[in-house]
Amino acid sequence: MSKAPKILVIEDEKNLRILYQQELARDGFEVATAANATEGLAMIAAERPDLVVMDIRMPGMDGLEAMSRLLDKHPRIPVVLNSAYSSYKDSFMSWSADAYVVKSADTGELRTRVRELLAARAES
Amino acid sequence: MVERRRTLLGDTLAIVMAGGQGERLYPLTRDRGKPAVPFGGIYRVIDFTLSNCLNSGLRKIYVLTQYKSGSLERHVRIGWGPLFNHELDQWIQCVPPQLRVGERWYQGTADAVYQNVYLLEQERPRYVVVLSGDHIYKMDFARLIERHEATGALATVAAVEVPIAEASAFGVIAVDEEGRITAFQEKPKNPSPIPGRPDRAMVNMGVYVFDTETLVRALAADARRESRHDFGHDILPSLVSTRRLFSYSFLDENKKQTAYWRDIGTLDSYYEASMDLVAVEPVFNLYDKSWPIRTMIQQLPPAKTVFAQEEPGGRLGIVLDSLVSAGAIISGGRVERCVLGPEVRINSYAKVADSVLMDGVDVGRHARITKAIVDKGVRIPANFVVGEDAEEDKRRFTVTPAGVVVIPREARLD
Repeated sequence: MSKAPKILVIEDEKNLRILYQQELARDGFEVATAANATEGLAMIAAERPDLVVMDIRMPGMDGLEAMSRLLDKHPRIPVVLNSAYSSYKDSFMSWSADAYVVKSADTGELRTRVRELLAARAES
Repeated sequence: MVERRRTLLGDTLAIVMAGGQGERLYPLTRDRGKPAVPFGGIYRVIDFTLSNCLNSGLRKIYVLTQYKSGSLERHVRIGWGPLFNHELDQWIQCVPPQLRVGERWYQGTADAVYQNVYLLEQERPRYVVVLSGDHIYKMDFARLIERHEATGALATVAAVEVPIAEASAFGVIAVDEEGRITAFQEKPKNPSPIPGRPDRAMVNMGVYVFDTETLVRALAADARRESRHDFGHDILPSLVSTRRLFSYSFLDENKKQTAYWRDIGTLDSYYEASMDLVAVEPVFNLYDKSWPIRTMIQQLPPAKTVFAQEEPGGRLGIVLDSLVSAGAIISGGRVERCVLGPEVRINSYAKVADSVLMDGVDVGRHARITKAIVDKGVRIPANFVVGEDAEEDKRRFTVTPAGVVVIPREARLD
């Protein structure tokens, strides 16, 4: 059996990090987490994630800038923007993401998008 | 604050691509990018595109530079900056690579715009016009934008009609009866003809209008793909399947029988376009007051000829069939079919024919120059001969396939 796909979650809120870690692990993925963008970008080379879940509003570098830096070096890694705010959908930079999920109590949409993107990636 | 009136042109941003290296124009591009190459005596190549913008009513212009952009930046700032009023929300600005998106030079024309997408974000125009800074033509972009709006296209590509036998050298656009683009063909062996006109084909001019959202989404998607990141090769073909990509047939403001559009891509095409200007009836008209070509004007005295000794062996300063720029002095020498830049000096008994001499070139006594391009500031020593012995010329200079000798800037000839 092939290795479980690895997901890197970049999220500044500790409780959400734990929640996403548990739920995505339950879906059968390997999960790494980072508490801010700088830490997350530094982990890319070592962790080689198959997909990145990126919060937008974080202390320090925001998720949009972090995504553009990530995509510059690794344009093929799918990125899901995951924000409590829908207003960033207007931002041109956000259009580089593979999906934009507005956070809610239910992680269903996030998990669905992650599954779809990884399935699409496995096919290509 | 009063909301400014949104008009078609006021809501359009122009992006002029001026980052090309122009390697095929070497050595003219040794110290400057292609758009900054002097042309027609007082102009630089980019002046033609910028004049089109100005004459069309476009007043928000970014010029994307990259290589050796010093002289271009200065030319645009001093020559063009004062024509645009910041208080009326008008500007022209050169933008060198900011390395905001990544740490790399522009990978292609599309990547150049993608790396500057923040400029679009700040302005959020309705339309973006993408232009090349290295073409010579006259075009009213207002008509192009009106047509773009009328068809409801996501993007519109300006195209010039050429005889089908010549189309293989260009990027050809296949269209249906309504002008909808069905395919892009790069230097095709068998170009698609225009429907109903089997002897003509449509050639991509590198002049585009995009709805801003369409452009940004296409650029973002392209940035993540393996591609050449080029408008003609990648971005526009990716929009064919929307069926909302239209062509616009180039309406020449030049008011001549044949449509004039030149990509000054090679030394020979540069030379030919220059020589056209000195023809009795040039195909490209610099004298039309309804479509003025502007440039950075230098304060210089009028051109002058001196010595009128018409007897045999006398010193005779004479100019025939030529463009002569301000500050030039033809002092006892002979000039035929030449483009002379500002402050050129032709000394006694020198003969210069069929040549382009850029700013400040000084031709010494008894020198003979034929079929040459001489870059800025070169001093041609007395008795020097160029253009008469091809083998000798090839040992010292670049000689084009058509036999034009190119003498680079700062060449030491004595």
